[in-house]
Amino acid sequence: MSEESSEKSLRAPAKAVPLFSFARVWTIASSTVTQLVRMKTFYFLLAFALIIVGIGNFNIPATPAKELSMIKKVAFGTMDLFAWLFAIISTALLIPRDQEDRTLYTILSKPVRRIEYLFGKLFGVLAVVATSLVAMFVICAIMIYSRETLYVSAEIQAMEANAQYTPEEMQAQVELIRQQGLRPELTVAVLASFLKASVVAAVTIFISTFASSSLFTIIISILVFLIGHAHSLLSNYWTTQTDNIFVIQAVKVIKVIIPNFQLFSFSEGIVQGAPIIAAVLWQMVGLTGGYLIVYVLLSLLVFVDKEF
Amino acid sequence: MSIVLQKVPRTILVLIGLILFGLIRTPFEDNARKGLVDSGMLLPPPGLSAMDQLSQSALMGTLGGLRSLVATYLVLEAYEHFSNKDWEELRNTYNVVVALEPYDESHWVSATWHLGINATANMELDEKLPKFERDRRFKEYAFQGIEFAERGMEQLPESYAIPVQMAEIYREKLEDNCATARVYKNAMDLPGAPGYLRRFYGYFLANCPGSEQEAYDHLIGLYREGRHQHKATLIKEIKNLEKKLDIPWSLRISDPDPDVESMKRRNRPESLPGGLSLPQ
Amino acid sequence: MSELAVEVKNLTKVFATGLLKQYVVAVDNLSFDVKAGEVYGLIGPNGSGKSTTMKVVLGLMAPSKGSAKVFGLDSGDIRARNEIGFLPENPYFYKHLSGAETLKFYGKLCGLKGSELKDRIGYLLDLVGLEEAADRRLGGYSKGMLQRIGLAQTLIQNPRLVILDEPTAGVDPVGSRQIRDLILRLREDGFTVFLCSHLLEQVQEVCDRVGIIFKGRMRREGQLDELISVEDQHAMTLEGASPELIEKIHALVEEEKGAKLIESGHPRTTLERLFISIAGDKEKGEKS
Ligand SMILES: Nc1ncnc2c1ncn2[C@@H]1O[C@H](COP(=O)(O)OP(=O)(O)OP(=O)(O)O)[C@@H](O)[C@H]1O
Ligand SMILES: [Mg+2]
Repeated sequence: MSEESSEKSLRAPAKAVPLFSFARVWTIASSTVTQLVRMKTFYFLLAFALIIVGIGNFNIPATPAKELSMIKKVAFGTMDLFAWLFAIISTALLIPRDQEDRTLYTILSKPVRRIEYLFGKLFGVLAVVATSLVAMFVICAIMIYSRETLYVSAEIQAMEANAQYTPEEMQAQVELIRQQGLRPELTVAVLASFLKASVVAAVTIFISTFASSSLFTIIISILVFLIGHAHSLLSNYWTTQTDNIFVIQAVKVIKVIIPNFQLFSFSEGIVQGAPIIAAVLWQMVGLTGGYLIVYVLLSLLVFVDKEF
Repeated sequence: MSIVLQKVPRTILVLIGLILFGLIRTPFEDNARKGLVDSGMLLPPPGLSAMDQLSQSALMGTLGGLRSLVATYLVLEAYEHFSNKDWEELRNTYNVVVALEPYDESHWVSATWHLGINATANMELDEKLPKFERDRRFKEYAFQGIEFAERGMEQLPESYAIPVQMAEIYREKLEDNCATARVYKNAMDLPGAPGYLRRFYGYFLANCPGSEQEAYDHLIGLYREGRHQHKATLIKEIKNLEKKLDIPWSLRISDPDPDVESMKRRNRPESLPGGLSLPQ
Repeated sequence: MSELAVEVKNLTKVFATGLLKQYVVAVDNLSFDVKAGEVYGLIGPNGSGKSTTMKVVLGLMAPSKGSAKVFGLDSGDIRARNEIGFLPENPYFYKHLSGAETLKFYGKLCGLKGSELKDRIGYLLDLVGLEEAADRRLGGYSKGMLQRIGLAQTLIQNPRLVILDEPTAGVDPVGSRQIRDLILRLREDGFTVFLCSHLLEQVQEVCDRVGIIFKGRMRREGQLDELISVEDQHAMTLEGASPELIEKIHALVEEEKGAKLIESGHPRTTLERLFISIAGDKEKGEKS
């Protein structure tokens, strides 16, 4: 404005704005990442590392291969738990808080679409969840690998002391332990946890658009998450226990409305050594994408004429 | 359109959206579930029997997708019961564990081993209980172990480790050669089963009254497979059966009788590799 | 100056509150225009519907009836919002961001980037006098500093229209003087400013035109001078008048038919007086 002459002249109209802009989504997403980082949410990784060290010192009465497999199971189970819990809590802290603090006023009074805001928040949370998962995987990998090396050298020592095993037999024994150790397929288990946490984050965003507070959002989201694991139980168990038509109908309605989170628990099987079928994996990636888009659009439906 | 959107309450629109999405994704999810379960990536839901036995926290964990975590925790708890020789609790805990992870063969094997071998051994030694009670419980635990194995075999018909563990109870605890032979027979043709099971089947069948001819046919079949089967015990058992069944001299095997002295010391068959060890 | 920056027509905004669906009419059939290039002030006491009107203009709320347009575009249109810089009342920004980061964030939302954005941030920090505090987090800013970073944020994309909700609320006299100077400078630079306040003397010197709103309705509108000089009233300010003289004046007024002494006492700022009289009139009117 300093370049103006002293003669008063009106300002020119603004430049055209794109109706949808990935740059704005990106801006909101990266600001969300900054926000979560500066809220010191990454401290939970420290707690995770401590738990993993604890798990690494488990003394389980079993053969090395079995023991390694149990340690791995618990470590990845904990990682999965941390991922979805983090997704719920961090998401729940974002939108209701923007609303309470009225930061939303200033953001939404800029040329920002509400859908851009929602996608920005979602992608920000997902970026942080992904980063945390990578960090957690590295922590687990270090622990599992060090245990694996320990077992392998102990077994080799034991076999050499016995002096009656051929190199091939020793190799086979080592292979048995390695089978339960740090395998590249484990990264797919991390991806599975990420897909689950993504869907959880999208559902939490949806809940937070009509919930009024962070706490309420967290409670409802966890409840939905738990019910979302009961899909097969609902049909297998509760419906066989009753022939009350209302209960059966209610179960059907719940199954249609509540996302099927159980389906996303396939990191368990991968950790236990199930073969990875690429086609099925892609199906799950596609399903996750569907959940994200639909839930953000549903959130938008609530959010679009929300008044602040 | 926007007028319609404004007139219809949002909650109804959202509900319609949720239901539509639910209906669209259901067939897709069923398909994905089938693929996941078939490949073993997704563990099948816990057995119905588990639901009655789960404590509330275990149930929550299960619902929260932490089935493996809960199961592993319970295995550790079972080990605690084992250390305390608390066999009833151990059995209850393993009932939940196998209900949570019925596809994990090691749980079935462990439960069978704990009850059939450890609990019975404890009954042989426990001085606190009167003899009669110990004898009774000895049988009880042995059969509880066998029952676990039977359930496991039903669940995992492809697993040879469970029947092998079961056979150990018949062999070591109940000393029932006929039953031992029968179980080995079931196990020996399963995928990945170790070769010694076929010999063991023959050995125990040979000592099962009335099955001598069957045992002889099986063992001689093994003998004819080649030199790698010519173990001392195999030759000895064949020679015993030749005598018992009065096989004509021309048909008898030509190997010399293995060391008579050593046979005197143990009229049991070749020992298990590694003897009694932790299962799996 | 015929172009309209803001055009509010028959705007009504009703809030339903509570489970029992009680209705609050926050804005009631309100119409007014803000011409391009002018400073327009909406004045009214607490709860008269000023903030609500602004939020409707911004598209943060939908009108229950009527319409609001910004440079001919429907409010709520993303292009309309690109023309507006908005300072909410008691502005609140992300505490974890520094002053410069805050401006960068809002600049990026407006599509600015690179050196253009950087220059703009430097210029605005200088304009509001926050260069020193640029790298401090907003969590440590004082109320006045927050208000100033908020002002800088409204100007980030160099919008044609600036909407300020109580720009001087909670700011000390020196600070509010600076803010008023800034508004005058914006007018010089050709911005259109639409502001609201309940502090009358603050608006007096910066506004070209004011609208007086009370209980959601426009009560008076026009140029300040016009509003202040009420045709059928006459104000006298006496000095050194004895009580007897005042008695006499009272008596004279009573003698004349149709004349009535509305008020006597020590003088107040003119706008404030006008304001209170409007409030009093309407209160009486509504009771009867
Ligand atoms: N979201 C809302 N829900 C219900 N009522 C509301 C809402 N927002 C405002 N109101 C009501 O509308 C009326 C006008 O409020 P508004 O905030 O517009 O007043 P204002 O003129 O800005 O007052 P102030 O000077 O105190 O800021 C008030 O009675 C208020 O209670
Ligand atoms: Mg206000």
